[in-house]
Amino acid sequence: MIRGGRSYVTSPPSFSNDAKRLLVCTGNTVSVFSAATGLQITSLEGHTAPVTTLIVVPASSPAQKILCYCWTASLDGTIRHWDFSGPELLKTIDAQLPIYSMVIPSLLSEPQQIDKRCELSGKLVAFVSVEDISVVNEGSKELRGHIRRFNLAKPRVPRGDTLKETAEPESIVISPSGEFFGIRHKCKIHIWDVPSGGSRHAVSRKMTLHHTKVINAFAFHPTERVIAAGDVTGRVLIWRGFGNRKLALGNQKKKVRATVDLDNAGVRGEDDTESCTTWHWHSAEVNVLNFSSDGAYLYSGGREGVLVVWQLDTGKKKFLPRIGSPLLYFMWSPDPTLSSVVCADNQIHLLKMPSMEILRTISGIKAPPSLPRMYEGLASTVAFDRSSGIAALCTENYCVQLYNLLNDRGISEIQVCERNHQPGDEITVVVTAVALSLDGSVMSTTEVKLPEDGIGGLVSLKFWACEPDSKTFTLSTIVYEPHRDAGVSAIAFHPTRSMAVSTSFGGDFKIWVCNSDKNQTDKDSSWICHAVGSYKKKPMTAAAFSGDGTVLAVAAETVITLWNPDKNILLSVLGATLTPITKLCFAGKSEFLVAASHFPRPELSVWNTSKLSISWSYGLRVEAVTSAVDSSAFAVLAVIPKSFKTDKSKENIFRGRDGAILLFNGSDPKPVSIWTVIKAKGGSISFLEGDKSQLRLAYVNGSREYVVFDPNSDESHERSAVDYDGLAGLEETGDAGYTSLYGQLPDYDKKRMEDVDSLATPFISSERPWETIFSGSTLNFPPLQKLCAEFFESLMEKRTAVVE
Amino acid sequence: MNLVNIKDVLTSFSPALDYLALSTGDGRIKIWDTVKGQVQTEFADIASTEETNIYTKVGKGHLSVDYTCMKWLSLEKKKKRKLGTSVLVLGTGGGDVLALDVASGQLKWRISDCHPGGVNAVSSSANASCIYSGGADGMVCQIDPHSGNLIRKFKASTKTVSSLCVSPDGKILVTASAQLKTFNCSDLKKIQKFTGHPGGVRCVAFTEDGKYVLSSAVGERYIALWKTDGANKQSASCVLALEHPPVFVDSWGETNEKGLYVLAISEVGVCYFWYGSNVEELCNATPTKVALATADSSLKPHKGSLPLIFAAKLQGILKPGSAHAFIASGLLVKPSFQKMVLQFGTDLVLNASKDGILLPITQSVSKSSKGKGVQNKVTTLDRAHAEDALLPIARVADLHEKKSVQLHSSDKDTDMVDQSQADHLETFCMEDKLRSLGILGGTDEQKKISYASIIDGMDLEAYLPPKKLKSAVSSMEPSSAFKTLEALVAMWQTRACGGRHLLPWIYSIMVNHSHYIMSQEPKNQQLLNTLVKITKSRGTALQQLLQLSGRLQLVTAQINKAAGNQTQTTAHDDQEIDESEDEEDDVEEHFYGENDNESDLSSDDGKDKDDSLMDM
Repeated sequence: MIRGGRSYVTSPPSFSNDAKRLLVCTGNTVSVFSAATGLQITSLEGHTAPVTTLIVVPASSPAQKILCYCWTASLDGTIRHWDFSGPELLKTIDAQLPIYSMVIPSLLSEPQQIDKRCELSGKLVAFVSVEDISVVNEGSKELRGHIRRFNLAKPRVPRGDTLKETAEPESIVISPSGEFFGIRHKCKIHIWDVPSGGSRHAVSRKMTLHHTKVINAFAFHPTERVIAAGDVTGRVLIWRGFGNRKLALGNQKKKVRATVDLDNAGVRGEDDTESCTTWHWHSAEVNVLNFSSDGAYLYSGGREGVLVVWQLDTGKKKFLPRIGSPLLYFMWSPDPTLSSVVCADNQIHLLKMPSMEILRTISGIKAPPSLPRMYEGLASTVAFDRSSGIAALCTENYCVQLYNLLNDRGISEIQVCERNHQPGDEITVVVTAVALSLDGSVMSTTEVKLPEDGIGGLVSLKFWACEPDSKTFTLSTIVYEPHRDAGVSAIAFHPTRSMAVSTSFGGDFKIWVCNSDKNQTDKDSSWICHAVGSYKKKPMTAAAFSGDGTVLAVAAETVITLWNPDKNILLSVLGATLTPITKLCFAGKSEFLVAASHFPRPELSVWNTSKLSISWSYGLRVEAVTSAVDSSAFAVLAVIPKSFKTDKSKENIFRGRDGAILLFNGSDPKPVSIWTVIKAKGGSISFLEGDKSQLRLAYVNGSREYVVFDPNSDESHERSAVDYDGLAGLEETGDAGYTSLYGQLPDYDKKRMEDVDSLATPFISSERPWETIFSGSTLNFPPLQKLCAEFFESLMEKRTAVVE
Repeated sequence: MNLVNIKDVLTSFSPALDYLALSTGDGRIKIWDTVKGQVQTEFADIASTEETNIYTKVGKGHLSVDYTCMKWLSLEKKKKRKLGTSVLVLGTGGGDVLALDVASGQLKWRISDCHPGGVNAVSSSANASCIYSGGADGMVCQIDPHSGNLIRKFKASTKTVSSLCVSPDGKILVTASAQLKTFNCSDLKKIQKFTGHPGGVRCVAFTEDGKYVLSSAVGERYIALWKTDGANKQSASCVLALEHPPVFVDSWGETNEKGLYVLAISEVGVCYFWYGSNVEELCNATPTKVALATADSSLKPHKGSLPLIFAAKLQGILKPGSAHAFIASGLLVKPSFQKMVLQFGTDLVLNASKDGILLPITQSVSKSSKGKGVQNKVTTLDRAHAEDALLPIARVADLHEKKSVQLHSSDKDTDMVDQSQADHLETFCMEDKLRSLGILGGTDEQKKISYASIIDGMDLEAYLPPKKLKSAVSSMEPSSAFKTLEALVAMWQTRACGGRHLLPWIYSIMVNHSHYIMSQEPKNQQLLNTLVKITKSRGTALQQLLQLSGRLQLVTAQINKAAGNQTQTTAHDDQEIDESEDEEDDVEEHFYGENDNESDLSSDDGKDKDDSLMDM
């Protein structure tokens, strides 16, 4: 049971006090990485929903640097206190509402006394941003985001005082000194003063700064009253001396600048600041803003993927370009020579500081590309190498990332097509499908260059050969426009030979062979087209080879055509399904063929290829199908229909999970086992067959988290972890679970079977060759120039033997 | 690259085989990621800087340490929540034993001066419950791997302990100086003593079941196999010979069931592999060698940096006689890792990768250009190529027919429509087709010969004016004329001669000897029927043929126009086409004529008309 592929970039990471460890929120857990090696050391597990905030208790003196305490807040409504050296959970506080953001000012402001005084006197105050789920959210304009004040010293927090209500929960930013905190809300920044007395009833004072554009990020200066804010247009605004009037320290109220509003340069309206300066370098929105720990520099970054360092006094800039992905967070560490920058492509870079070199990268699985509408449900952006447990995943930056699922590590990245290092650019190319041969030695990718204003679209198909030494692939063949202008809908590899098939929406499929098949020593292998086939000009949407490779099944919209791939002969046609087929898969070496279609009426059907008829079907929307090589077992990833989930009686079964993996055995329509999963949409499954001859099932979900588990083991408790939940398992085997899930389906099933049987005359008799050639309805008419000579001769020529 | 002897190289795979720790004797440890083939981390000054003060970083003091032995173990999980930690246990020449937490990159614990004079070996059992270390002082220390506490210490030998090993089950410990001794781990009592090695033993290893000990001393070109459960004193039960002294020994399998697999790496970086289902068989086995190809002349001068196999580990057994092994090979600066199947009896030669080698400029230039030439060879197919399929357009198979028939017909098809092989010699013949379908009669070879004799005197090919033809025909005897007619019809049917030449004769005979033919009616029914059939079949084809010829003419005209000047071949083509046209015209004429003729055969009064037609 291996889990991994979690997102490292949902919330900002945090360094430990000795800067040797980096704590990263990874879903429901917090992972602790070593800054020196980039390897994971340990993880904090306990939350049952994604962790949103991570606060390492800062050390105030060098002696405290070895202290490893942190606070976490999560969407499950709890706040937890950890010792991450252990790792041990010290305390859990139930806040009852999902927490989106939390700050604890007192940890920062009075470091000398906090540990003793606050813990003892029970006054550790946290400000949290929660979503008030008690308000019914029927599209009303209720303000669901609340900023509240909690006292963490008590084990159970009452509702707390609400400081501000917003439409959505906002993230709170605190000043490094712990004096102020604030939120951004559209074009405004709301700032509160933290009551210094620490008394529970002291009301925080509030001020607001205004801007004309939506503010994306802001940061407080560590020592002075300076705020930097970045907006969507790429401007960075620096407000100096904010809150001198409104937030002036209560007791020793300094009567400064009572009437200086007139000469405040750049300050908007009634805002309480001395001056406002604007820097404009970024061309797109600014997402990252952070002051250096001494306050001399300001770091900013955004969609361009360039980290900019501004010298605060002079405005001089230094850059770290070519990071290659939009930046999300920048964190400096207690060690002045180390900092980290977090990118949107699930990478955390550790930077060596004054020189800004990337020392080391903690990399996760990159995000999937957003596909054109046409490919939805068809594209297979994940492929598996079954023997080595390596997954090939299409990524947004025109790459295929190879990721080892068994030890949760990225291996390499293959640039499928050229691009420049400007992540902000429009996406012009999409890698729509990737496929790996069964032995993992050949990869095939297809990409679509999106047309601009309808011009310049280009589809290309590429074949890559594996280089075992460097664990990467090199390009061996490019085919431009493999199916004229039509897009490639699917690629499938022959199980034993170097042969592949690509199908297109244009109504034909092509079989490709590698010409280095005979002489293995020849390194420069190239692929050529072996055969072309089509069926009634229907769009071909899916393809699969049988387990022994003798039969090729190609789905032509609603019918399945079976071909002999060597000779390119149509063997037979299987009767029609109701809706276009999107996935095809032979169930191992058995005679059963699994077909899935999901638009507009989802269906999973299993066909018997020896009887050429349907054996059973369900009305399930299937995202992925996989089959074991040796047995007749196959597994499907089904998306649970909405009507099921909202059903009250089933609520406790699904608990927010939207998908299920069903394991079938051959012809038996009753699933052997069912596991429910989350984020099934866009997910993918595959059997993995390691050298230990144990069968494992790998599931990669829509957000590229994955789990590898043994489908035949009896650890039902472990299985539940498929849904990242850690709660009691749901493993439904046999009748009870089955009927509870799909009780009404068998009737439908029977009816469907009868229907199909009645119209099952799927066989097409052979015709004479001439008729085949001239019948224009099913086949391409060969060009006259090519045809005429042969035809003419054949008709008129005498037999050569009789000439004498 | 300095000259590194493989003897001084310390290697240790992580238990999951995803990392390899490599130390070349300069006090630095590189952790290679075997999946990526890249350096994951480098530990340089772990031993020297215990005080970890980030603000006052001392210079790298790695040269002050020399590691002498290394062992990677993964500690079992204490709690479920905690990740299992990977620990690299190192012994130094200064006598310290230290453990490095690989994931966090920090020193986990350290025992200073554990073995005065230097640590020579560390070992642990499979479950890593405790570590044993042996050193120059002859002592063996038992260490707790979690805390680094010294549990026990005992004197194993009066001489230096040069190597030691714990059996996989953790019950037996073997120490080696020149003499091997086995100890019971629980009470540290000596069990056995093996003597026979002349010098210090460099490597010892247990078999998986702990029944045998493998050992080899410095300079010896063999590995000795000792039985652990035998008598107190005994000699080696088996000796495995190598060409060079081994530096590393690993084994897998058991002596009773699975068979015994032994893997060794010699000083020159060649991997040896033995297999035997029992010890006797193992003794007699000749080793299978795995070596790197050294034929590349460009590497020859760089003696010190020859690519080697420097680490290997048996991973599992595929089937008897073949095993999975994980091998690290290449240059020490850039090793490459591969998992391979070792088949006993078949030597393997691996390709040496030249990555990481610094070559003189002249060589590197040539090499890189060569390498580029090989690597960047990408085949590009454009739209036109992509349509150029090897196989013709798909057909529908007839499953009712036999498979062989299918095959046959598809082959025919291939020939006919094959677009890529325009100059294919074998052409499709309609006659064959017709014959195979039974439309044409079977063998009429002997008849043809007789026909040939009948029409011997006639020059069919020569053009005769209608009058001469008529006179020639009328001069014939009716019977011979009938035979001639038969022969001509057969010739036309078999296409032995063109219809252009035959048809006037047939026509003429029919006209002039109609009475005789009619009298022969009952007999020659067959003949007339055939004639009607042929004419009809030609007639139906005519329309299409005319269309075809028309198109062909158009096409050739266009081609000629495009080509500008006519080449000889096209002219020839034109001629041919003209000929065929003529032929078709003839066919048409005679077709109508014949039809009339045949209809007249019974009425007998259209003769004059025919004659007049003919005279025209």
